[in-house]
Amino acid sequence: MTTSVTTETLTNGRTYTHRTAAHCETGVTSALFFDKGLHLSEPMIFGIGSGIFFGHLPFIKWTGLPITTFRAMPGLVFKKTAKRLGAKVYRKRFRTPQKGMDELRHVIRTGQIVAVTTNVYWLSFFPRRYRFNFSGHNFIVLYENENGFRISDPALLEYITDCSAYDMERARFARGPMEARGLMYYPIYVNPNPDIRKACIAGMLDTCNQMLKIPIPLFGVKAIRLVAQKIIKWPEKLGYVEACRQLAHVLRFQEEMGTGGAGFRYMFAAFLQEASELFGSKELNELSNDMTVIGDTWREFAVVSSRIIKQRKSKREETFDKAGGLMLICAGREEELFKNLRNVVGNLKS
Amino acid sequence: MKINEVPQDDVPDYSQGIKKGNYAIDDRGKYVMVPSKGWVIDEQINKMAYDEYQDKVEETRKAVLAGQHSPLAYYMELRQMIPKFLGKTAGIATFRVKRHLRPEIFAKLNDSVLDKYAKALAITREDLKIVPKNSYER
Repeated sequence: MTTSVTTETLTNGRTYTHRTAAHCETGVTSALFFDKGLHLSEPMIFGIGSGIFFGHLPFIKWTGLPITTFRAMPGLVFKKTAKRLGAKVYRKRFRTPQKGMDELRHVIRTGQIVAVTTNVYWLSFFPRRYRFNFSGHNFIVLYENENGFRISDPALLEYITDCSAYDMERARFARGPMEARGLMYYPIYVNPNPDIRKACIAGMLDTCNQMLKIPIPLFGVKAIRLVAQKIIKWPEKLGYVEACRQLAHVLRFQEEMGTGGAGFRYMFAAFLQEASELFGSKELNELSNDMTVIGDTWREFAVVSSRIIKQRKSKREETFDKAGGLMLICAGREEELFKNLRNVVGNLKS
Repeated sequence: MKINEVPQDDVPDYSQGIKKGNYAIDDRGKYVMVPSKGWVIDEQINKMAYDEYQDKVEETRKAVLAGQHSPLAYYMELRQMIPKFLGKTAGIATFRVKRHLRPEIFAKLNDSVLDKYAKALAITREDLKIVPKNSYER
């Protein structure tokens, strides 16, 4: 595996090892549990915490456009994983920045590493063009030093870096949509030998319910269909240029924001593969292959969409109908996959 | 996606050497994480959003110089805020923030209110009163 590793000694003398990950929250959760002696890979955490999802939220605006998410709500993966693995966690938001910063300093002084949720705009170690007003980036604070804080950002950097105290405070307490209000979390106690099979089953069942059973068309497979149909109508309804803008916005959620490719679909396929080894189940492995195919279709959707956007000022070869059509194919296949998954999980023994 | 299909398009201005994790299948059909240097499609959609933001900042700057808005509007755009969230950050009611975007009302503000805005926008009080003459490079 080509992951570079850097290590750092914590205040209490223990060693922290930095591992890169594809996504911030799963990477952070994996690192937090690793620190407590429970070794689980990023896809495993993603599966157990039921990270895969699809939701369309027209009433929450981000840079003026509706949110189309490919993952569960930020924060839920950690919460669910901890619950299913029988871990006790600390998870708190704060009323004032002062209290939040004091508590953070207090905890890291004991040698406990802490994950914080931040707003990307205020983090100066981020590349200039990544810095948008988005409250939902997680990283780990290791200890305090003369520059502020020593942090490990598994999703973005391949090394451990510094973050000034000012940046940290602004980023943690930035106001905006989905504000973090200084959210910080870490596991207090982790069961060293949890029942991973049971946790996997719980995670997979929850995933199936999330994708298939929510009776609101804004969530799950129904939402994929909704967005697909919206995309087909956009050019007429909004005009070509605005339609491109909206389409690009969907793509940003799918590809740009550290999803491990194809809006987390590849990561979920990796989870199914790992689960199939754990249970010795051929069916799960087949489902993993199916998920890879679905991921490839999402990827194709991204390529077609990007061509639509590129040609917005000239000739029109690819159409919104084709992009929407690809998304409908994804919806159909995902519905089938999660139905199959539910049947397979029903036969698994923990 | 196979390992060799993971995009490795290097766009230095965009990624600044940062690699993104991608899950891909290796020769034996096993999923592994592969660092990707970037993808032109990522870059393209990011550029769209980033240009939009820059254009908006530039537009506001010109509007301020033309006397249509107060400098507060420019710094609000620069920090990617809207009156609601600027108000929350500075501790000032949204309707007041909206009023303060008008130049004639902004000119009459006292120092304590300006200080609140300066702190919320991470600039000095003197900077808040003027906008750059030339387009701003971050």
